[in-house]
Formats: sequence, C-alpha cells, structure tokens
Amino acid sequence: MSRMARREARHGLLFILPWIIGFLAFTAIPLVATFAFTFLNISLSESEPLRFVGLENYRRLLGDGQAWASLLVTARFALLWLPVVVVLPFLLAVAINSRNVRGGGLLRVLLFMPYVVPFVAGALIWQNMLVEDGWINSALRRIGVAHPPSWLNDPTWVIPGLVLIGLWGLGSGIIINLAGLRAVPTHLYDAARLDGAGWWRRLRHVTIPMMSPVLFYTMILAVVDVMQYFLVPLVLFDGSGDPGGATRFFNLYLYQTFFTFQEMSYGSTLAWLLFVITLIVTLVLFRLSRHWVHYTSER
Amino acid sequence: MNGTRPRLLPALAVIVSALVLAACGAGAGTRTGAAPVELRWYCCLGTGEQADQVKVQQAVIDKFNALHRDIKVKLEVVTYNSARDTLATQIASGNGPDVVGPVGVGGAAAFHGQWLDLGPFITSGDVDLGSYAEGTADLYRIGSVREGLPFAIYPSTLYYKADLFEEAGLAEPPHKYGEKYRWPNGREAEWNDDTLKELALKLTVDKNGKDATEDGFDPQNIVQYGFEPARDDLRYQGAAFGAGSLDSGDGKTVRIPDAWADAWRFFYDGMWKDRFIMTGPVFETDQFNGDGAAFFSGHVAMSVNFLWSTYGVAGAGTDWNLAAMPSHNGTTTSPTSADTFRILAGSKHPAEAFAFLSYLVGPASGELLSAYGAMPARTADQDAFFQKLAGQFTDTVDWQVVKDSVRYADTPHSEAYTPKYNQTLSILGTYRSRWMTKSGLDMNVELKNMRDEIQDVWDRSR
Repeated sequence: MSRMARREARHGLLFILPWIIGFLAFTAIPLVATFAFTFLNISLSESEPLRFVGLENYRRLLGDGQAWASLLVTARFALLWLPVVVVLPFLLAVAINSRNVRGGGLLRVLLFMPYVVPFVAGALIWQNMLVEDGWINSALRRIGVAHPPSWLNDPTWVIPGLVLIGLWGLGSGIIINLAGLRAVPTHLYDAARLDGAGWWRRLRHVTIPMMSPVLFYTMILAVVDVMQYFLVPLVLFDGSGDPGGATRFFNLYLYQTFFTFQEMSYGSTLAWLLFVITLIVTLVLFRLSRHWVHYTSER
Repeated sequence: MNGTRPRLLPALAVIVSALVLAACGAGAGTRTGAAPVELRWYCCLGTGEQADQVKVQQAVIDKFNALHRDIKVKLEVVTYNSARDTLATQIASGNGPDVVGPVGVGGAAAFHGQWLDLGPFITSGDVDLGSYAEGTADLYRIGSVREGLPFAIYPSTLYYKADLFEEAGLAEPPHKYGEKYRWPNGREAEWNDDTLKELALKLTVDKNGKDATEDGFDPQNIVQYGFEPARDDLRYQGAAFGAGSLDSGDGKTVRIPDAWADAWRFFYDGMWKDRFIMTGPVFETDQFNGDGAAFFSGHVAMSVNFLWSTYGVAGAGTDWNLAAMPSHNGTTTSPTSADTFRILAGSKHPAEAFAFLSYLVGPASGELLSAYGAMPARTADQDAFFQKLAGQFTDTVDWQVVKDSVRYADTPHSEAYTPKYNQTLSILGTYRSRWMTKSGLDMNVELKNMRDEIQDVWDRSR
C-alpha cells in the first residue's frame, strides 16, 4: 500500500471513527454483554449476590408460560398482519401505477402522508377512532350494525384493531412497490400483450415474478417488524397487555421483564430467544425464496 | 482537493482540544470547595405531575435551596405512566435519584429492597412519630426497616349521588360506621355488601326508566349504573371486602384471601350477571368513563374510592356526598393509601437527602399536601385540611366520614410487598382486564388459575 493510500485509509477511518465508537458502545458491546448476562442472576427486584447460574435462565424460559403465551400473541398478529403488509401495498401500488388511474401523483402523496406523521401520534388518533363510540363504530352503527366490535376492549377484536391501526404506516411499502413497478421493463408487457395476455395474466406472469425481489424485501422487513412489534400496544394500553393479555406481544413481555420486573438476566435471555427466532424465520424465508424470487441479473 | 488533506488532522486536533478544554472548564466550576451537594428529587410514582403541582414542588425546592446553601435540589418530573420504568432504568444504570416521591405503598413495593432505612436518621434526628394518626407510621415499615415518615393518607369511603337516591325514593346510605340502612318500608338492614347490591340494583336504570329489579329491564341500554368499584387494582377491590394478602404468611405460598375472592365474584357477577356494575367496554365509553373514574360521569349512584377522588368528583355534579364503607361478613375495611417520600439506598448523600425529606414532610408539608389534595397524616393538621377542602365544593360534604374511616384502614395493606411483586401485579392486571372484557367465565376456575399462575411465578427461581 502506498503512503498516500495509507494516509487516505487513516483519514477514512478517522471519519468513520464516531460511527465505529457508537457501534461498539451501543450495539456490539451490549450485544455481547446481554449474552453474558443470560448466564448470571442480575435482578434489581431482589437483592442477591451476583453469581453464575449456568443455563438456569434458559431452563426457566422453557417453563415460562407467559413467554410462550406472548409468542403466541405475536404469531396471531403476524398471521393477520403479514399478508396485509405485503399484499396491500403491492396491490395499491399496482393500482396507482395503472394507466387507467388518474391523479396517481396525488394518491401517492395522500397514501404516503400518514407515514410522515409520528407513529405515536398516529396510534393515538386511531385510538380515538376505534374506541367504543369512536368514528368507526359510529359509522358501523349508521349502516345498521347495532353492536359493533369493541376494538380495543375485546380480546377477540383487538388484534384486527391493531391491524387497522397498522394500515396507517403502509405508505413506505407503497412507495417501495411503486419504485419496483417502474423498474419492470415495458417490453415484457408489450410481449405479453402480443401473446394475448390479459390484465390478470400480465400481473401473474410478468408483474409478480419481476416484483418478487421487492415483495421478498418487504416480507423480510415485515417479519422483523412483527417480531419487534411493541410501540402501539405500549402506547394504547400502557404496556399492560390489556385486554386480558391479548396484546402482550413477545417484545412487550421482554420490555416488562427488563424494566417492570427488573430482571435483567432473564430479560436478556428473552432478547436472545427473540433474536434466534427472528434469525431462523429469516433464514427459512431466504431458503424458500429460491423457489419464488426471480432476480433479473441471475444467469 | 489533495491540498486540503494535510490541514484536516491539525483542524481536528484543534476541535478535540477545544472540546476537552471546554469540558474541563465546565467541571472546574463545580469543584470549588464551597460547591453544594446536588440532590435529585424524582417525581411522580404517584401524584405530582400536574402543572400546578409541579409549580408548588418547585417553589418548595426554591425555599429549601435558599435555606440550605450546602444543598441544591433539582426536581425531576416523569409522568406516572412511565415513572416506574424510568426509575428502574435509572437505578439499573447506576444513575438513581436521591429522594423519590410522593410514592404510595405499592409504588414503593415495586422497588422493594432499594430504599434506605431511615431508622438511624429518625433516632438521631429525634423525630416524633406520635404526632401522626395511629398506625400510619407502620405503613412504611418493612420488617425492621423504616422506609418513610408519615405524610399523606387517603382513606376510602363510599361516594354517592344523593339526587339519584332521592329520585329513586331511597334513603341515603349511612354516614356513621355501625349504623343500619333504612329501606322505604321501614325495614332496617345491616350496612354491608348485600345491602349495597340490593340498593345498586334499584339504582341501575335502563333508557326506559326501568331499574334492574323490574321485569323488562333492558341490560343493553343502561343509562345509569348503581355501583362502581375502583377497578384499577383487584387488590384494592379485595381489600374493600377485607384486609388481606396473597402471601399466606410464609413468603412462598399464594393464598387468595376469602374476602378478596368474594369481592372479585361480586365484581364479575355485578358486571355480567346482575348488571349493576358496568363492563369494561361500557366503562370506556364517553358517556360513562368520566375521565377515568366512572363516578365522575354523574351516571353512577355509588362508588368506592380513595379520598384523592375529590380531584375530579365535581364532574359528578353538586349532589354527591360521602358514606361509610359497607361491611363484609361483619368486618368493615377502608383501604387506605399512604403516600410519602423515600430515599434510595444508593443515594450518595443520604444525610442531605434526609434533611430534604424532613423538610418535605415537615415545614413544606402544608403546601404539598394542599397541592396533592391529600389528607395529612399528622392529626393536628387534619381539621385545617378539611376546612380548605370543603371550600372547593358548593355542596355540603360530610368530611367526618373520612376521619372516621381511618380507624378501619386495611392491615395488612393490600399493596404491601409480596414475592415477585411486579410479576404478581402484572398477572392480577391481566385477570382484571379479562374479567372486565369477557362474559361467561367460571370464577372458581378463574380464581384457581390465577392462584396457580402466581404460585408458578413465585416458585420460579431467578
């Protein structure tokens, strides 16, 4: 390496040094530390000398009904939310991108605008819409639904209620899908038309395969988001898991374990479980993607 | 472009040096010999976050700081909803405050083992515990550790709407403990939960004007409810039927007190079977929520609550009053909340913190109690407090009921420490929410499941 190249490397390192320090201090070291914590007995709620407990926290995790129940809550939400967050932005983007839709620019702006509003503010707005006598139930009553759902106070309806709230943040997904749609070569559609393909066949045989990397990308992000789902139930229910534990998502239980129950070691164990589950699901999705995701650069 | 590179390192060195010098300079000012000890007062694990209260608290600090040149107190206001988690985080990161409060028995129990034992300071400071209402000093004693000095107490009473009783042609509930309730036909009944239920049914009215005892009563369209228990905490509901603890006494075994089980069945059946208590979804409606306390909506005839409910009771109208707590199985209990200030065991300046705490519960207590709307634990101050409180309302309220209720305070306190305190609270909260939102539950099964779940948490090793 020449002297100038070494100097450039030094300068480069110097410029990224703040980031490296930040990464080490706030990500890498805490990551390693939490793993170490899983083998200790750190708890603020009960005074006990610090000691090595081996796999005790992992053994406890296996028998912790609340942890598995909270994972079930997360899974239930994922089943309902993932199709919505992947498919709906795609369909809306296809609609906006269509030559037959006028005012596409305006629609883009309108659909993206909610995404710009801070999510906590959005959640509180939705809370007022979903309460017993909020706008949504008032509208349902007007169209003849005498006893509309108790969106936020019924364990059965609260998950669909949270999915409704999530619609607020679809704007970014729509923009990503739109960008993907614009990148689909038009000659593919022309060729399909020449072959007599209608709208549905073009969508199925051209758009979806060409958009599969984008759909895969949004799916991976959505899975990670679902595993970390936390903010809305925290804001709406003060992290209580109400109604009746139906919104005690895994990440919320993890947060409670750390900061409400003050059990740092066990909280770290839960955090690592979350990490491992997210990793496994992501790896499985990557593995499956070989069968349905098509990259144009592939040979 | 290349020409600028050699200047980068010297420029960065100058910036870093300037920052280091600035940092040193900032520290130098506080390292002088006469620097005051800095204390942090952390609020609000209980009351204290309202703008008016913050002003009073800051004024108290200013006065204290002016009197004590060697101590400088800073106020940290964290809203109630996030106060526990924030304090836990601060303690975990070794950045805990010095003085915390006002905090009740439950708020303190959530940080069990982390409070300073004030015993040695109380002994050396010659603090007179005899000036406080009987038993209040014991509310802050955990075994041999004395965590606080009495400051504010909030006994429970029965709030009721006199106009709704009059409208129904019913006599008002008794104000004196031990008095019987007189029905319109002259029958006298013991003032207990059975009588309360009977009254509540008559005071629960649908949109057609039928009460819950009449044929054709429409439970889907209730416009007035007969009774509202304080639904925030199942332990409080239980304590209103009888003092108790989930801890059977050995610190290991969970036992749901019989009175608590009765109270919870009363609550559940009142919502879903007898309909004189509103369900969770109804409680959330604008018509009945009353800003978090259903009685404030003016559509509830009776409600059990702490004295602090006076903060919003004006919303119920001008015809409300206070009555004695009903008994259960011959025992009367008035669950009593007790707020005070505590010092964290990790405080680096315990002596200065105790000086400040003594100021808060001593010279500053009048101002603070007034701001918090709290009844003084010091008996000599109570008459003045009620005189001032009475001035806030246009209707005539029988404040003597509150004073009389102190004798029926719950011992053991319902919020007292139990093993795995926060987890236990979380489980209770989940069942509370479940009962409010789900009909058709078998309460015997529910109570058994709850007990087993809590026992499981208590049994779990860390």
